[in-house]
Formats: sequence, structure tokens, C-alpha cells
Amino acid sequence: MDTLDNSEWDVVIVGTGLRQSLLALALSRSDKKILHIDENDYYGGAEAAFSLQEAEEWAKSVDESSTAAAFFNTSVTKPDLSPDSSTPQLSPSRKYSLALSPQLVYARSALIQSLISSKVYRQLEFLAVGSWWVYTTSSGNQALREPISIHQTDSIRGSLLKVPSGREDVFQDQVLDFKSKRALMKFLRFISDYEEQPQEWKKYEYEPFTTFLIERFKVPEVLHAPLLALTLTSASSDQVSTMTALPRIARHLRSIGVFGSGFGSVIPRWGGMAEIAQVGCRACAVGGGVYVLGKGIAGEGKYSEFDGKLRLKDGENITTKWCVRDHAPSGIPAASDNRSVTIVSSDLAPLFPSLGEEAPIPACAIINFPSGSIPVEGWDQERAVPSVQIAIHSSDTGECPPGQSILYGYVALSGAQGSQLLKKAVESLLASVDITPAPTILWSLQYEQRCIPVNGSGSLHMTWGEGMLTFKQSQFDLAFDDRILDEVKEIWQKIMGEDAGDFLVFEDREPDIDDDD
Amino acid sequence: MADSAPTQPKPSSSVKLVLLGEAAVGKSSLVMRFVNNDFQENKEPTIGAAFLTQKCNLPTRTIKFEIWDTAGQERFASLAPMYYRNAQAALVVYDITKPSSLTKAQHWVAELQRQASPGIVIALVGNKADLASAGGADSSDDADAAPAAEGETNEEEEGTDARRVATRTAKSYADEESLLFFETSAKTGQNVAEVFTAIANAIPETSLKGPRGVGGSTNLNRQEDARVNLAGTGMSMPDKGCAC
Repeated sequence: MDTLDNSEWDVVIVGTGLRQSLLALALSRSDKKILHIDENDYYGGAEAAFSLQEAEEWAKSVDESSTAAAFFNTSVTKPDLSPDSSTPQLSPSRKYSLALSPQLVYARSALIQSLISSKVYRQLEFLAVGSWWVYTTSSGNQALREPISIHQTDSIRGSLLKVPSGREDVFQDQVLDFKSKRALMKFLRFISDYEEQPQEWKKYEYEPFTTFLIERFKVPEVLHAPLLALTLTSASSDQVSTMTALPRIARHLRSIGVFGSGFGSVIPRWGGMAEIAQVGCRACAVGGGVYVLGKGIAGEGKYSEFDGKLRLKDGENITTKWCVRDHAPSGIPAASDNRSVTIVSSDLAPLFPSLGEEAPIPACAIINFPSGSIPVEGWDQERAVPSVQIAIHSSDTGECPPGQSILYGYVALSGAQGSQLLKKAVESLLASVDITPAPTILWSLQYEQRCIPVNGSGSLHMTWGEGMLTFKQSQFDLAFDDRILDEVKEIWQKIMGEDAGDFLVFEDREPDIDDDD
Repeated sequence: MADSAPTQPKPSSSVKLVLLGEAAVGKSSLVMRFVNNDFQENKEPTIGAAFLTQKCNLPTRTIKFEIWDTAGQERFASLAPMYYRNAQAALVVYDITKPSSLTKAQHWVAELQRQASPGIVIALVGNKADLASAGGADSSDDADAAPAAEGETNEEEEGTDARRVATRTAKSYADEESLLFFETSAKTGQNVAEVFTAIANAIPETSLKGPRGVGGSTNLNRQEDARVNLAGTGMSMPDKGCAC
């Protein structure tokens, strides 16, 4: 069968992004007749990973005219590298696997559980997220520990301060005074079971988290930035509510030590979530699912009148009981974030200190630029400047050649101001790491990604006529959001009905995999 | 000279081997013959296993093949990069009764050279050798068999000989590209074990590592040191410790 015309299916999944691919995995043993298509000629959709050349092609192909497109305002910058052999050079295109979704996954995430119970983790490799750093320029924040360099006079150069990774770190800290330590320890004890103590925080629920820290625990201001860094939110410090911060910090702290000492989250190797998407698709193919890339659906507007018939872009007519696809275009302009991918000519080794003798070598470091640590020209809004997150991936991820690293930047700020802020953050970061020769930027990609607010109204998916199911488009978050899995489960349940069984729980297909002799 | 010296167990290494080739050339059948010494006449297209394993004993070491099937993703040219990732060997299969399948095989070889690790060992395998008459197989090495192989429309005089790809044609292509080359029959078992043994022998010792690894690239130790073991202590008890 080399044509799809007149074929009949139980489920047609449109797009090979992470959600669709997890759904494909969930349906992989269902005996449903599944067709999984993607209009792109690559796997992963908004979670794809690209070689250099593919990334440049992707940047060019992004549809600037559509207000419903997930990505826009793309630009690739290649500094003029002198051909002189003594200066660092880009490696060949295929040495890179740049992730559109360089998310980290907390050890306690339901995603990890699902990858294990569905047995596909055997086809994946995970690496540790090591240290978390806070960038600071101010003279007032010197009370923190382990500055790896300090250049106080130059406005663009600051210092990077390591966030303590747990209570032991706090105990052993040489710089914090006793009072601060006590306040922090008290807070950390509280957060270990904050759900049980609503009386402590309910009245601060919608208040800024920093207010809560001061009023309830007397946590000194110097510790606010490191604690906010653990939330991985890009909102301005005064916009992060207690309700937002507590579960995120708890998620961080509770995950530490699950897979080994000194770290609590992991990243997939080879290009972020793209790898998980591919593994999910392969599992579905192994179960008999049919895969066709470069094949989209014709007639984008037909969400509301789905009658089981679909027309593909090359004219094939197919029928299906269920069709699962991305969010429906709403026509409402969505907010957007700025994102960037920067290839750097250094392994930035000082940012990847060992996690301990028994622990794996960390392959990712998180740098947080607190609200206001990077000035934005012409900032006239009442709220503070949003914070910037940069995840640095080492060459151990397979995303770049040895001796280089990839900086994935993210700020919840649209337009030129956001892109400017990201650029400055990357420059400041590079200027703050004491390493010789000084790291230089070899290549960078900037783009904006549209999102709908995480707390947006409406159910996780909507039904458009019998059989048409859609995923919600979500905001980029530096950590995998377990609600994605809930959304997948909901759709899976709808398709499976009574016979659903356990979600993503499978036996090994390969009998003797652990046979080691 | 009986077994006097304490015999050290031979070093054992895992090797990821990927299958490539047009649909219905017998990729899975070859693997079934190699792994289970079994053959099914009218096998359905591949469903069911992410990969199969089989050991290959060499005089000085044991190679444990992790054989990855395409799972049908080749049909619409939709194989994912993860399929090629870290593959140390590839079996590119064509059907000796179908010249277009050799063209397809050449396409896959090019794709491997583009996508796979530089040191990958590639074997080109002409399957369904049982469909060539004995005489045909012999004469295929002669010049006069070649014309018949080039065009599918050519009238076949031997009657039972369905061969349309001359051994010589495929062999010279394989030599040009430095590929191992075999003609096999998954049905009779002819040459099947030999292919895998030849691949095992061709894999450079330096690219090997212990069992159940991925291997295939440089800096192996560091890669292992970076890897997080999800199936370790922490996550084997799903509900433990979550305070939610």
C-alpha cells in the first residue's frame, strides 16, 4: 500500500509533537488501526530537534503571516568567524541536534513513571541537571556563596552564584549567617509538607511569594532570588504568587536524590523532548501504526463539522472514527515568549561542578537572571522586568560537539524588548564565566513562541463534532508539565472507552533484554 | 591440551544493528531465521518487537546483536533519527528478483552515510536467493546473465529462475561503497548466519563496549558516567515517597 486513498482507520493522529506521540505510545498496544501523520518532514512538531541546517530551514519556513502559528519572528545570527584556524569554528551541521523543547523532567514527574511503566525508557538516555545559578550584578547580594567570578564595576559583567541544592548544602554554607540559615531551614521544613499546613500560606495564596517569605519566615532578601530560581518561572519577581511558587519549589526539592545524590531532574539525551516523541512514535509503529511524514490535512477550518471523513493535502480521502489534532485556531491573539538557542565555543566547565563521587556527570546547568538584573531600555511598565532563564546543555547531551555548549534562553516577554533581554542575558552570562579562552558565540537562533496562559479557562481538550479531539496549545515551561500527561490520558480514555485498562502500562516486548551473561 | 587453564569468559559486547530496505524484501524473515532459525512463508508485515537480540560467538569475543526492525516506518520514508542513532551495523536488504529494490537499497546506503555514525558497518544483502535457479546463481557471475538482471521486462528463458539482479551488479556496487556483500535465503537459511558473523567480525574492537550499552561513539566512559539510571532504586517503587 503506497497510497492512503480510501483507507479506513480507527484513529488518525495529526502531528508528531510530544502530546501526539505520547498518545501514540499510549495507543500502541490497543489493536486500534492507527494512522499518524505530520505535515512536516520531521518528527517532533513544536518539540523537534534540528541539525544546524535544518534549524536554519525551519527558521525560514516559519509562517510569519499566520497569527495562529506557534512560532514567529525567527532570526538566525552567525557572527563573522574569521577562517583563521586559531579561532573557534562551527562544526558540520549534523554535529548538532538543537532542541525546540529543551525541557527538564523532574524525577517525581509522572512522565518518568510512564516512560518506565511503558518500557520505552530502555530506548532513551537521561542525563542529570546539575547546578542552578543566580546571576547578580549588585553589591548588595554578596552574601551568597561560591561566586565563580566577580566583576563589580562593569555593568554587563556580574557574578554567578550557586543555589544550594538541598538542606545539606545550606548547613555547610560558610557565608550565610546563622539567622538566615535558620529562616531558610524553617522554610525548607515547611515546604516539605506545605499541603498539610494551609493555615501557614492560604492567606498569602495570591500575594507575591516574596512577601510571604518575608512576613511568614523572615527569609532575608538575599535568598529570594535563589528560591525564585527554583520555581523556573519567568514572570517578574513581584508577579510570582505564593500559590505558583510553593508547588514548584516543592517539586524541585522532593525530586532531589531520587536518581542519585545532588540532583533532582533529568534531560533526555539527543535533543530534548524530540527524542521522547520519536520513541513514542516508534512504539506505535512497532504495534502496527502507520507513519507518514510530510502529509497534512487539507481544509484547516473544518474543526466543527467533522463527520469521520478527512482529506489529506495530496488529495487522498480517508475515513476514521477518531481524529486527534492540535489546538483549534481561536482567532484570539495569544501572548508570546522569546526564546533563543545559542551555540557557544566553550564547554563552560565551571558551571558544571561535580555532583559527588557516586553521582553522574551533570549535562545541564540552569542560570536564572532575576527580575531587574539585566536592564531593559525604555522599560516603562509598572511591574518589574521578567526574569530570564537559560538552560546550558553540555556536549554530553549529543546536541553539540565536545568543547562547545548550547544555551537555551527563555523569557516571558514578547517583541523586541524580550529578544533584547535574552541577548543581553547570554552576553552577560558569557562575560561572567572565568574561562580561557573567553567563550564566543558561534551561532544563534532567536524566535517567539505563542502560548495561552497556563491558567486559561476551558477544559483540556474540546470535542468538535463526534470523533474530533484536539490538544490544547500550552505555554513553554522549562520543566515538563505533568498536566500534558493528564491531557493525553483524557483523550486516550475517550478513544479507548471501556477497554482502557491501565494508562501507559505495558509488558516488555523483548523477552531476554536483561539477559546479561 | 584439555581445558587446563582457568577459562576467562570471553568479553561480550552489545551492538545495535538496524535493518533497512524496501517493504517485503524479507528483512524480518532474515532476522527470524537468524534469531529463531525459523521461517514463515507468508509473513505479515512486521508487528510486535522493538528489537530482537541474538548472540554471535567469535573466537575471541561474543557479540550480542540488538536488531532493530524498521517497524514499517520505512514504507512512507518516515524513519526517525533515533532509529539510526548509535547503530554500529546495518543490514541493507534487497530482493534479487526485484531490481527496483536494489535501487532502494542504494538509497538507504546513502541515507546511512548521511545519518548514521561514521564508523558504521554496512552489509548489503540480496535476499530470496532460493528463487534463483542453481544455474542462474552460477551464471549470474558470468557476463551473459547481467542483461537479464538489468531489466524486469526481459523474457526469462530458464523458466524457474526468477533472479533479476545479477550477483555481479550488486557486488561491484558493494565493493565501490566498501560494504559487506552476501546473497541469502531466509527461507533455506543459506548464508544467513554468515552475514551476521561477517558483520560481527567487521566491527572494530575499539568501538565495542560492555553489554546493554549504546556505544558507537567516542568518549565512551564519560558517556556512561553521565547517564542516569532510571530503573535504579528510586523509581522501581512507583508510589513511594510522593507526598502529593
